[in-house]
This record gives sequence, structure tokens and C-alpha cells, in this order.
Amino acid sequence: MQYTDNTSMELYMPQSKSTMEKLAILTDAAKYDVACTSSGVERKGNGRDMGNCAKVGICHSFSADGRCISLLKILMSNECVYDCKYCINRRSNDIERATFTPDEICELTMNFYRRNYIEGLFLSSGIVNNPSYTMELIYTTLYKLRNIHRFRGYIHVKGIPGADPLLIRQTGYLADRMSVNLELPTAKSLERLAPNKTRKTILTPMRQIQNGITQGQNEIALYKNAPSFVPAGQSTQMIIGATPESDYQIMSVAEGLYDKFGMKRVFYSAYVGINDDKELPAPQNAAPLLREHRLYQADWLLRFYRFRVDELLNENHPNFNILLDPKCDWALQHLDKFPVEINKADYSMLLRVPGIGVKSAQRICKARRSAVLDFDSLKKMGVVLKRALYFITCSGRMMYNTKIDEDYITRNLLAVHEKLPFDRDRVTYRQLSLYDDVYADAGAV
Amino acid sequence: MTGNETVLICEDSAEGILTGIYDAYRIKKDNMIKSHDLIHLALGEPYTARLFTDYIHVETDFDKAAKVSDTIKKQLGGQTYYDLCLAMASCFEEKADAVYHTVVIGLKEHDRNVLDRLGNDYVQSAFKCYRAAGSETNRYIEFIRFSELENGILYAKINTKHHVLPFVMPHFSDRLPADDFVIYDEAVGIFGLHPRFKQWYIAQGMEFDEGSIRYSAAEYEYRELFKRFCESIAIESRINEKLQQSMLPLRFRPEMTEFSL
Repeated sequence: MQYTDNTSMELYMPQSKSTMEKLAILTDAAKYDVACTSSGVERKGNGRDMGNCAKVGICHSFSADGRCISLLKILMSNECVYDCKYCINRRSNDIERATFTPDEICELTMNFYRRNYIEGLFLSSGIVNNPSYTMELIYTTLYKLRNIHRFRGYIHVKGIPGADPLLIRQTGYLADRMSVNLELPTAKSLERLAPNKTRKTILTPMRQIQNGITQGQNEIALYKNAPSFVPAGQSTQMIIGATPESDYQIMSVAEGLYDKFGMKRVFYSAYVGINDDKELPAPQNAAPLLREHRLYQADWLLRFYRFRVDELLNENHPNFNILLDPKCDWALQHLDKFPVEINKADYSMLLRVPGIGVKSAQRICKARRSAVLDFDSLKKMGVVLKRALYFITCSGRMMYNTKIDEDYITRNLLAVHEKLPFDRDRVTYRQLSLYDDVYADAGAV
Repeated sequence: MTGNETVLICEDSAEGILTGIYDAYRIKKDNMIKSHDLIHLALGEPYTARLFTDYIHVETDFDKAAKVSDTIKKQLGGQTYYDLCLAMASCFEEKADAVYHTVVIGLKEHDRNVLDRLGNDYVQSAFKCYRAAGSETNRYIEFIRFSELENGILYAKINTKHHVLPFVMPHFSDRLPADDFVIYDEAVGIFGLHPRFKQWYIAQGMEFDEGSIRYSAAEYEYRELFKRFCESIAIESRINEKLQQSMLPLRFRPEMTEFSL
């Protein structure tokens, strides 16, 4: 090949990116973070500055994958000095990098919020230079947002493990919720997949935030105007399916976090295959969404239905049933406790009936003070009768002539959703690639 | 007096229904009707008039309505009053009768938590009404999208099924005290207006030409940014439009920034 004189060598100069480009890159980089709730704190407007918060949280939209969009979920930067195997932003990946300035984030947040696009900001970051430097960037952003733009909406930030405790503490006074990612359920898995992180560096800020919250609550009890520290509480998340833990192990870890660290929420993130790595499951058979779903169901049972992990799972039964939700599964294993009489059973027993949720249990307890309830009124209260009817009586009668028999009820419960051929061997969970495969496989039996 | 039933036909508004309740109590007393069960409220003429039933039209009267609402607030409490107002804003035919008889039960039993008596058919039907209107209120608090006009005013358009605009306004006036904003309910033809740092109000019967709206320059930029954000946040391997649609029904989308072209 002949080279001519005017061949110029192209030199790549990183131009400063527009806000639009940065937003695309840094949203894309943040999307695998699962927590996007704006709940846990009630703050009225002050009649002057923009923003308030609702205790229940507000979702503003739903993305194409069906997840709620509540907060402007972005990374401060997707530069990262770490090399965690499962992460898209790991240093060994060749991806486009960008970093927001604190002012850009403030502008975006304020303008999105004013148009009712979002409920607030969710700010996380890759590790720029070192943990403390990154935490300081986040702190600066929050400081500007709260004190210059006088923003009173919701803010969720990540505590960066290994950052100066003072920075974490100061950030906590500006944020509504803080979270430190547990990343993986066990220390061993963490060592394997996230070589730059240790269990200790993760648990230290978690404990610090927990202590800060307790201390803050005590101070508020004494002085009304004491600044509130992380008023919406702490949350964390872990990746499911990248490492071989059982559901029992995962739920026990979650229970420990609720009990010992006072977590408000634990999020489970079904592993999405992004990187090729010999330590990871192959990308094409990732996404055990059903498993994630079951874990969330069990998580709700722990938090709102007064269940303990040991009631749902044990060493001999370490994984959730793929065909039945954990509550139905529990009820079928404990048929001796059923049927329960709707007009008499106590609240905590009502909660354990499949088809009765927290709200309908509360409604039942209130309504039966003034009248004897029948099946028709239960239905109008929101009880899912097609699931509940096998487990309840109204004034001593069952709805239909049904048997209290495990196989019989199971068969009928399964008929409610998909017509699945029931096979005892397939009841327990096994690694599956996709929803559709479950049904295809099961259909072939 | 005979066992005839009486049906009061009132206007489809909170004031109309409250006036109807006032008149029902008065008629019961005047005619010495034995039970409230023989009196019903309706919102319009029935398709076929029933035998042995007197139909009476009720003239909406704000003084009577105010008396009834004061009584409800005092005897049944603010929360019950709020929920009953939601029920009266719903689009169901049976709302007037349901609210009337719920109030009757509440006053008779001196029960501030009368709405918990879900074993009762009237209360159940009022429950259905306020639950539907309440959940639409929440939906709009979530899904309203404001646009900034040239003069800095924020403008949003909604199409409600139940008349929930008055229940949506307090949320936004608390949230955006320093903004002038307008929410236009196209289905009902009313405007909720909030002048900055002032009390919000509802305006009716104003001429309005949507074509005359001019957006600010920054508006287009932020719309694009938000659309881009919504696209980027979805995980490609998890696309699930059915789930999205069940969470965010299509009827809300025409007025939502991220779904407009």
C-alpha cells in the first residue's frame, strides 16, 4: 500500500461531553442498581422552597423493563479504579467513561423535579481516584443541592466503602437514605468476584450509618430541631445467581441485616450477564428472574407478615419452590393450622392465609367488629378468594366443599395461574435460564 | 304514611349530593318515614320509573350542603369526610346513595370509623367509590408532567375518569410553592390554578385554545434529556412491555413526556 503525504494521523482527543451524552452514559451505567424507591420519609413543603416527600414513596414512570422510575438514578462517574468481575464499570472494561460535575447534577435534578418527572436523586458512583475523593464529590453535590438550590425532595446516596467516616457522616445529614452495597451474599464470594473489596470495609460504613441513625433519633427526641441523619433509613443490595449460595443462605443473610443492622430494605438483584469471565456464569444462561421474584416475596413475608426464615426454609429444604410462592408453600406444609375462621382468627394468623394481604387482613379485623363477614364481603375487601378459599371458613363454613389435602389444594392452586403439570421432582428450584423454558420443560414431562 | 319509596334526584356534584342528604333527612322527618332505607339518592332520572316510588328533584343549595359537610366533619371526623368527598368525586352511579346511607349509619352509631364497616353493603359501595377515586388521585400525582411555558408558568394536562383534580392540587401546591402552575383537566373542562406563594383554586368555564401554547426553549431540551434517561435506564435483556403496561396503563400516556414523540 502506498502512503501519500497528506495522510494525517488522527489523534483522539477526548472532547468535553454534552450533558445529554453524559446522562446517557451515566444512566446506562447506573441501571443495574436495583434500589429505586423514594419511601420512608414524610416531609411537608415549607411554603418557600421546592420539594416535599411522601412516606409511601412515589413512582413517576415505568421503564420498558417494567421497573419503576422514581428517582433520577445516575452515577457521578463511571470511572473506576476497582475491578469487580460482575460490574460493567470495572477498570478492565473498555467502555466510554464520563463524569458529571456537581452543578450539572443539580441542574438536572431541579429541572426534572419541577416538571414532576422524578421524586428526587439517586446518586452512586464508580471509584474515582480513591473512596474518599469519590465520597467528597458526592457530598459536594448534595451540599449544593440542599443549600444552594434549597431542594427538599428525596435523596438516596451510596456510602462508598473505605471512605473517610467523617465524609460519610456529613453526607448522611444531607441525604434521606443511604445504602452500602453488600454486593454478594457471602465473604467467600466477595473475595472471588470483587478482589478490591472485603466484607469488613463494607460492613464498617453500614454499622456507622446504623449508629448514626440511632443517635440521630435519640437527639431528635431531645432537641426538636436537631438535624436528621438518614431519616428514611438504610438499605443494601446483593447480587443473586452469580455465586452458588442457596436461597436459605441468602435469606438468612437478609434476616441478619434486618435484625442486626436495622436495614429498611434489602434488595436482590438477579445477576445480569454483562462481562465474560471464567468466574461468572455464562451470560446467556443468567437472569434467574423467577428466583429473584421468590426472594422478594419471602422478603415481604419477613418484613410485613411476621415470618422468620427458619419457617420458610431449612438445611433440607434450602431453596424456594418455583411453582408456588413462599406463602402458599408454607401453608401447604402446615395444613394442620388450617382452615382459619375469618371472624375469629387473630391478625397474625390472618396474615398467613394465602390470598390475604396486609391491607385486607387489617380491613377484616376492623370490619368484623360491626358485622359477621361472609365470602362476598371478603371478595369486595380485596381478598383473593381463589387462593384463600382452601384455607378459610366464614361462620364455620367453607366456601365450597373442598378437602384439606396437600395434593388436592396444590393442584387447584396451580390451576389458578398457568396450567402446569405437577411433578414432585420439579418442585424445588433448579438453575433455569428463562421463564419460558420452565413452562416448556414442564410441559414436556 | 304508605310504604312508598322516595328517590331524590340530585346534581352530580359534592354540593348536589350533600344537599340531597339534607333534604332526605328533612323529608324523613316531615313525612314521618320509618326508615332511611325507604329513601334513596340518585344522580339522574331512572330509565324506567318504578311503581310506588316518589321521585323528587333536589335543587342544589350551598347553605344546606355546608350544614351537612359541617356535621360530617364534626361527627365523623376529617378523614371520613375526606374519603366521602373522594367517593362523591368518583364516576359511579351509586355514589350518592352509598354516601348518604354511610352517613346515616355513621351518625346513628356515632362511629367515626364508619368506613371500616365493610360488612355493610352501603359502606362497601362507598368504599369502592373512594378507593377508585383515591387511586386515580395517586396515579395523577405520579404521572402528571409539567411543561414550562415561555413566561415561566408550568402547565400540565390530564384526562380524568373521576373528578380528582381538587384532590391532586394540594400535593403540588405543597411541593411547588414558588411556581405558578396550571393543571387542565380536559375531560371535565376545569383548571386548577396555583399562583406562586398563594392559595390554589379551581376555575371553570374558561375559553382555552391549546394551540396558543408556547413552550420555553429549555423545555424541549429537558424533554429530550428525560426521554433519553428513560430509554437508558431500562435493562435490554429484561424488556417486558406487558409488565410496563400493567403498571402504567396506556390511557395516561398521551400526556406523558417520555411517551410522546
